[in-house]
Amino acid sequence: MGTLLDWSLLSATLWKVAPLLLAALAGALCARVGIFNVALEGMMLIGAFTAILGNDLFGNVALAVLFACFCVGLVSLLFAYLTIGLQANAIVVGMAINFLANGLTAFLLYAIFGVKGQYRDSTMSGLPQWHIPVIQDIPVVGELLSGHTPLVYLAFVLVAVLQFVLFRTVIGFRLLAVGENPAAAKSLGLKIRGYQYGAVVFGGVLCGLAGAQLSLGQVTLFTENMTAGRGFIALVATMLGQSNPLGVMASSLLFGFLDTVSTRLQGSSIPTHFTMMFPYVMTIVVMLFFKDKTYLRQSGRLDGK
Amino acid sequence: MKRINWTAYAQSLAAPLLAVGVGLLVGAIAIWAVGGSVGTTYAEMWKGAFGSFYFTASTLTRATPIILTALGVSLAFRAGFFNLGAEGQMVFGALAAALAALYVPGPGPVKMLAAVAAGMLAGGLWSLLAGWLDTRFRMNLLITTLLLNYIAVYTAGYLVAFPLKEKGGTGGAQTAMLDNSAWLPKLFAGTTLHAGFIVAIAAAVLLALFLTFTTKGYEIRMLGSNPLFAAYGGVKRGQLMLVSMLLSGALAGLAGTFEVLGTQYRYIDNMLTSPGYAWSGIMATLLAGSNPIGSVLAAILLAALQTGGMGVERNTEVPLEISSVIQSSLILFVSARITFSFIKRRKARAANGNAA
Repeated sequence: MGTLLDWSLLSATLWKVAPLLLAALAGALCARVGIFNVALEGMMLIGAFTAILGNDLFGNVALAVLFACFCVGLVSLLFAYLTIGLQANAIVVGMAINFLANGLTAFLLYAIFGVKGQYRDSTMSGLPQWHIPVIQDIPVVGELLSGHTPLVYLAFVLVAVLQFVLFRTVIGFRLLAVGENPAAAKSLGLKIRGYQYGAVVFGGVLCGLAGAQLSLGQVTLFTENMTAGRGFIALVATMLGQSNPLGVMASSLLFGFLDTVSTRLQGSSIPTHFTMMFPYVMTIVVMLFFKDKTYLRQSGRLDGK
Repeated sequence: MKRINWTAYAQSLAAPLLAVGVGLLVGAIAIWAVGGSVGTTYAEMWKGAFGSFYFTASTLTRATPIILTALGVSLAFRAGFFNLGAEGQMVFGALAAALAALYVPGPGPVKMLAAVAAGMLAGGLWSLLAGWLDTRFRMNLLITTLLLNYIAVYTAGYLVAFPLKEKGGTGGAQTAMLDNSAWLPKLFAGTTLHAGFIVAIAAAVLLALFLTFTTKGYEIRMLGSNPLFAAYGGVKRGQLMLVSMLLSGALAGLAGTFEVLGTQYRYIDNMLTSPGYAWSGIMATLLAGSNPIGSVLAAILLAALQTGGMGVERNTEVPLEISSVIQSSLILFVSARITFSFIKRRKARAANGNAA
């Protein structure tokens, strides 16, 4: 166990946590306007693919990330139109979007790059790693906080920004009102659907960032179904964090840590089947201990509304 | 009154056909985008799915586990529970069935019955676990069923890779071959279609009858469509949830069992996950709006798109994944149809003057 827990483990956690946190924040935002977004998984996958595609097209990482955000934004607009515009069941549409993401990315992977399963281009550059001038020289803190991609830092900045916007600004209060009591919000003259569309599409952009961090962060490649249930773990993080940005950050950190431990265990004598299973088992255990008291519980069913 | 019913009937038939049209249209755009010929591709797809008796039988073979899973998922959806755990339930069902058929002594039929019982029990119990976590600890069923999939798949993978691996076998992670007295009979010599297909069709009819004509079936439908009214009427949600999750998982387990007894004659790692049977079953349920008989048709349609996709890949430049594109656009379009009935219901409520 001595070699298992060291500072690099915590540093690696920050890598792992960024996509999870970005997606969970997207989920929280949607939950706050009363939409249970199970499409996080698919949106992240499309983000991961389009980030690689953008990188290939433009040869520029920043443009690639923007391209991913744009594409996932479009997909989330479709999700928003079906669930808000047409009032379709959000879970059914979300599952359909997940199926679409799986099929479309696999199809385009072959259609554009001519490969199946995995695409990797060794000449392609991934997201840069920022070494923060003074902090990187401090022994432990430097190792922990410096040398991450801009998206890792952005994820944590967004936590603070969202916490502030939701609970300290007028637009935040209106957003919360739309989710808590649509009838009251409507009577105040708020455009409920406008807020819902805004939250879902902004959530889509966040999922685009999450996907880009997955495919351009630590590695520079795209694998079919590379999200592997992370979107759903993000959804659990949303629920455990009570859709509160700080709470979501805490639960995402926990899941990111568990994921890192599972990766670390792969070097040990434990069969890989069990190390791969570890994050999912732990997620269930965590759900058991931290009761989810949110209103999301009800919307987790077909009979939701 | 009669006239309105006819319109509704026509609508219920027209909508799926329209959805198929939209799916094929999106597929055509995708084929055109990769530079394939739309006509040739769809012709190859048709040939691959129904081009000969052999291919038709293969399509129906592929449809068998999809139908059974779809029935299980439909039952849970009807009761209002989003059971996404069909994959794990199917995997455990298949593994348990293989073990029962291998180790239960006795003549073929005994082994077969033991396998079916073990498969249904394993799938049902794994599903029941998620239901119990919901009723006992109020854990979100959609999430737990999904997470339990990963756990089941990795556990089964471990078991067949190490403790239960075929002794002295040259193959990969798989159990020993079943004694051929326990194999399900083929319906037609020279094809892959086995007796499981008949059972799947019978199960669909039974489920439709159960939901329509029995008290429990009525309670399940009521719980799904109006939980408050059901509670008022004295329906015990927790108990009914456990029952419907058990049955739902048992059907998924049966799907896995038939794959073992009818096609592979052993449990092989990934034999159920790589063809994605469970997810196709969930798609079939969504397409058919949780209607048992509709699920059968939807499952055959999806299986045809998949076997047709293989034909496309064999004979043209267009990849197999074209099927996934068509399937998912179908589902997306159908999800908007659900909408349509929802809007009507809301309008009706508003007209009655008791809208929220």
